[in-house]
Amino acid sequence: MRSKFPNKPLPYILLFPTLALCAIFLYYPVIQTFRLSTYRAILMGLHRKYIGFENYIRLFTSREYIHSLTITFIFAVGVVVLGLSISLAIALLANHKIRGARFYRLLLIWPYALSPAVAGSIWLFLLNPTAGVVNYFMKALFGISPDWLTSGQLALLAVTVAAMWKNLGYNIVFFLAGLQNLPGEILEAAKVDGAGPWTTFWRVTFPLLSPTTFFLLIMNLIYAFFGGFGLIMVMTEGGPNKATNLLIFNLYQDAFRFHKWGLAAAQSVILFIMVVALTLIQFRTTGRRVHYGGQ
Amino acid sequence: MKRFFAVVLALVFATGLALGQDKIKITFWHAMGGWRVPFIERMVQDFNLTHPWIEVTVEYKGSYTDTLNAALAAARAGAAPHVFHSFEVGTQLLVDSGIIVPLEDLIDKFNLVVPWEDYIDPVLNYYRIGGRLYCMPWNSSNPIVYYNKTMMDTAGVEVPRKPTYSDIYEISKKIVDAGVAEYGITWPVHSWFFEQWMAEQGADLVNNNNGRTDYATEINLLEPAAIRIVEWWKKLYDEGLWVSPGRSWSQARQIFISGQSAMLISSTSDVTAMENAAVEQGFELGTAFLPIPDGTERHGVIIGGGALWVTGDHPDEELQAAAEFVVWMTQVAQTIRWHQGTGYFPIRKTALKALEMEGWFERFPNYRTAFDQLVETKLITATQGALMGTFVEARSTILDAVEAVLAGEKGIEEALKEAKALIDQSLQDYKELMGG
Repeated sequence: MRSKFPNKPLPYILLFPTLALCAIFLYYPVIQTFRLSTYRAILMGLHRKYIGFENYIRLFTSREYIHSLTITFIFAVGVVVLGLSISLAIALLANHKIRGARFYRLLLIWPYALSPAVAGSIWLFLLNPTAGVVNYFMKALFGISPDWLTSGQLALLAVTVAAMWKNLGYNIVFFLAGLQNLPGEILEAAKVDGAGPWTTFWRVTFPLLSPTTFFLLIMNLIYAFFGGFGLIMVMTEGGPNKATNLLIFNLYQDAFRFHKWGLAAAQSVILFIMVVALTLIQFRTTGRRVHYGGQ
Repeated sequence: MKRFFAVVLALVFATGLALGQDKIKITFWHAMGGWRVPFIERMVQDFNLTHPWIEVTVEYKGSYTDTLNAALAAARAGAAPHVFHSFEVGTQLLVDSGIIVPLEDLIDKFNLVVPWEDYIDPVLNYYRIGGRLYCMPWNSSNPIVYYNKTMMDTAGVEVPRKPTYSDIYEISKKIVDAGVAEYGITWPVHSWFFEQWMAEQGADLVNNNNGRTDYATEINLLEPAAIRIVEWWKKLYDEGLWVSPGRSWSQARQIFISGQSAMLISSTSDVTAMENAAVEQGFELGTAFLPIPDGTERHGVIIGGGALWVTGDHPDEELQAAAEFVVWMTQVAQTIRWHQGTGYFPIRKTALKALEMEGWFERFPNYRTAFDQLVETKLITATQGALMGTFVEARSTILDAVEAVLAGEKGIEEALKEAKALIDQSLQDYKELMGG
């Protein structure tokens, strides 16, 4: 159904505020970022020199940057795959009609309400090698007390788990909403036909849930690329020895700490292109299998 | 009716006059959080009270980096704070930024009387570039060893006043072997200590006389002095004598206070906090000079901390007020108050004498250590401190190298060589950008 506007300019007049805001706060900065990425600049661009694509060449020939790229992919895969599987599992459990279900659901959503700084601090306390709760149990159960944040691989694991945990609430809310909107008659039909819970889940629930899953996949991917910053800042500052130096943190360091504005602009362009590309790929591949219901 | 209007007119005129004679308003941004915020506010209040024609508005702007970025951004927008607080490693960047005016220029211009001969030289020296003082040192400190004297007595060891690397190693070993503490010593994984140890050995951190005669283009990470430092650090770590608090200063203090380690190397600005903690935890606190490698001569320390900078883009009367404010902050009375409140150095000789007469150092002998170490410092380019436009980045790269060595991922020379290549590249880029 398409509604008609009484005259031609009206839609444009109505669109104008949005477009103007986008132009000022989105398109203009994006263009400026592209421009800045072709300069070597310090002091917020007070001193600058045009160097073409040298920033990009430097980044892709730098071992540190490639390392950061690899780390970010590992982190993103961890956050997205683990995060989605665990939250779907929890959402399925929370969807059962038991006493106090609403209360449990509320508790599950809680972590999402925390700011990254608070969440990071909580994990810092938990993972403190000598006084933390995690190592208290580790010592009691296995007799070991790992240096969670000073050993490279453990630190990456720790921030991945923390970032995943931080986003669980968000995922669970959407999965729960998705589960509760499933058409009851189809589930019933499956039951009548004698499908067990396992088959019902994989054959009926999961496909019907695919729009939610697909949406969450994209949101989590964006979160993994851009949202990891707060936790890293609080928990590891990219260390030890750059083991948790995600692309977004590397960018922040280069811009706001090291005053390398051109190099940082180039990194932000790369990050932008990567997320756009990943989203497009997802629409092309996974997107086709998504079942949106209706006809 | 006419009279009424006349009165109103007169009133309006009077208010206008009063507004016209308004106070000179200047802003001051600083980077000292926590309990220091109200402390600084009170100092500023006192300045405002004693200078009724000036009104200073003070604002805490977050970390040094945040404050620096905020000041740069504000300057670009034409609204720079008149006075702001920056760390020593931002010096070269600020000199090149073009947003600041050298303090000495202002003092000459407005004929302010400053008794320079009363200021402690090593402190001013850091901020003298080309013979001119660029800013006013404010919160100055250097690193010293804090030790748990009670533990030392239990283990039957004594910490010499001027220890060497092997002294610290032996003491740590005895402490750990005797089971008095889990670890011998700790300090935050921070490049500041590395820089101090270079200075103690009389080695410049970068070339071109520590970046003081021309833009630095190379860092001296492959000097024997540099390697000695990392070798000792690694040895302590490998033998379980040094424990890593990560890059966190508070974590390091916590490890020491809670008795997990018998010694701590940290800033002299921690003296007050450490004294209090020792009383609370029921142990006796001792302090010693920064340890130096065996067989090397003691050259002294670099003055660390921050300074007050004045930005240039303001009318003359505001600039004068800003300069007056900055000078006032280092008056004898103010430096004494500042020292007693925070532990940072009083940077005036008279202040030092006054504190001595008051018996301050007898009551708190640990402050003495910090002082003597500073006063005994030799005035050479190594202890004057390095100037680098890319200092913050260099610090981070040095730490990455140290962390890689400690974790056993890289050999000492390999790690330092890689770090040097990265830092040199940045230094050369910076020089090129500045048209050097």
